[in-house]
Amino acid sequence: MAATPVPLAKDSGGRRVPGLIGWLLLSPMLLWLVLFVVFPTAILFVYSFCQRDELGQVVFDFTWSNYGRIFDPVYLRIFGRSLWYAALTTGLCLVIGYPVAYFIGRSPPRRRSLLLLAVMVPFWISFLLRTYAWISLLKAEGPLSALLQWSQLIAGPLEILYTPAAVIIGLVYTYLPFMILPIFTSAEKLDHSMIEAALDLGASPVRAFTQVIIPLTKPGIFAGVLLVFVPSIGMFAVTDLMGGAKVSMIGNVIQNQFGQARDWPFGAALGITFLALFAVTFWFLHDRNGEAH
Amino acid sequence: MKIRLRTLLTLGLALGAALHLVAAKKEINLFGWSEYVPQAVLDQFEKETGIKVNYETYASNEEMLSKLLGGAAEFDLVQPSEYVVEALVKAGKLEAIDFARVPNMKNVGAEFLRQPHDPEQKYSVPYMAGTVGIVVNTEKVKQPIVGMKDVFSGQCAGRIVTLADNREILTWALRTLDRDINVITPEAIAAARPVLAKWLPQIRLFDSDSPKTALLNGEVDIGVIWSGEAALLYREDKKFAYILPKEGAHLWIDSLVIPKGAPHKADAETFINFILRPEVSVLISEAFPYTNPNLEARKLLSPEQLGNPASYPAPTKLESFHDIGKAAGIVDKLITDLKGGS
Repeated sequence: MAATPVPLAKDSGGRRVPGLIGWLLLSPMLLWLVLFVVFPTAILFVYSFCQRDELGQVVFDFTWSNYGRIFDPVYLRIFGRSLWYAALTTGLCLVIGYPVAYFIGRSPPRRRSLLLLAVMVPFWISFLLRTYAWISLLKAEGPLSALLQWSQLIAGPLEILYTPAAVIIGLVYTYLPFMILPIFTSAEKLDHSMIEAALDLGASPVRAFTQVIIPLTKPGIFAGVLLVFVPSIGMFAVTDLMGGAKVSMIGNVIQNQFGQARDWPFGAALGITFLALFAVTFWFLHDRNGEAH
Repeated sequence: MKIRLRTLLTLGLALGAALHLVAAKKEINLFGWSEYVPQAVLDQFEKETGIKVNYETYASNEEMLSKLLGGAAEFDLVQPSEYVVEALVKAGKLEAIDFARVPNMKNVGAEFLRQPHDPEQKYSVPYMAGTVGIVVNTEKVKQPIVGMKDVFSGQCAGRIVTLADNREILTWALRTLDRDINVITPEAIAAARPVLAKWLPQIRLFDSDSPKTALLNGEVDIGVIWSGEAALLYREDKKFAYILPKEGAHLWIDSLVIPKGAPHKADAETFINFILRPEVSVLISEAFPYTNPNLEARKLLSPEQLGNPASYPAPTKLESFHDIGKAAGIVDKLITDLKGGS
């Protein structure tokens, strides 16, 4: 009984309510959020309970049916595949991105900013343009195919474009910087004396890595995983262009409802479900991550 | 005398300024397909009439519908395909065109008029037409291809590009089953399913925007694509043959229509009449080699242009699409399901 006031006091010390100036400073971002996140999501939410008419216009006639349709095996299977592709993309980004981020983070300052620039430069070029570049790189009569044939690694022309493998390549390429940057931020702050201490106390390099470096860069890993996993589930441009629109992910299904199928309410229901799933996953991960500290 | 002259001068100036203002205000808003109306045509129209054409573009009928029905912008002219014209007429979204202002309508071939989408020819004027057919790289594919069954015989598996249009794909199966392509019922979907389940895994890629690219790249050897794309391929290299499937093909007609409440209806009609002039229409054909419904304009085309089999194919059984309304949903689900299975 006597213990209850203690955490309360601790809480009110940690979370301060912003004053008037604080609110003023926050207002541009809040306005932005309300206008471009809260408001559209509310529209989407309302639409998801509506129906479409013959022309594809939204009719305000309440129904649950859009949510019922989501549980059709056709869409569940695609959702499962989207999760698998996103997980694979995240895993590959982590394996490729972690050493890069660590290396950049531990480099001397001048080289560090140069390397960071190299990670950012692709963002200066349109995403579509870069995707088309990949298409001409991977195509059967492209340079990679020619190189592999010349070195006799493969017998016929390279047949990778318009396959799931091409989709994964495209996804990893697109989202790699989103893994590197947050891990870099963590790695940069890493106190080198901690690693030295671990090694001095007799830890093997592997043990120092798994028990010191990884836990200390965990916030970066967590942020990176989230930044790669979430958007790659919803991606539709890469599957359309590099996958030949053959392997659909849930993003393609949603896009189709707002396009060809002209069924906005169903698209909205898919979008809302998607959003709810993310929110729940995020909370779950965040809570566990919080407990670990 | 002096004063009167001055008054006259001032009046004249004022009149001139007023006229100039009126002239500067004249404009129409055209909402059309991307890569469909040559800039030269729009420039010539402005030079002749002083009416400026604001050309805004879209990439699919569906995109156009959302913007048009959303009411965000006021368009004077739109270029929907036949089944969308039908839906718009049904919903009362189009103005009847005053054909007294469009005398050049006489140039349009009778086979493009009074189609099911506009049986009385009150609301639409054919702009360009075309088909969906088979393109074959004759250097790579040696066996004869006459219909869809040959395309999907299995011999060309993995070497095929098709449009990414779900309804279009479904009709190919319906035609080989001798079914009405405009009757989309759950029963028709069930009948088409096993056929498409065999066909879709053979397709290397789906691309509606530029299917010719994969054929030119050598990534695929056979395509089921728009005739306009096929005509460009044939122009590039004569090895690309265009074949209309023997079981029949989709004849699409894109029309110019005036949406209900268009702010500049009369000027829009002037534009339609201008487009139908043979010497203007031929400019469009030169830039975009679709089938020109304007018979007078065809007379101005070179024998080579008329000889392009993709622009002017040998006649076969051609059908246009009707509006299918909500059935678009089950079509979408079928194709999504079959693509997911591969």
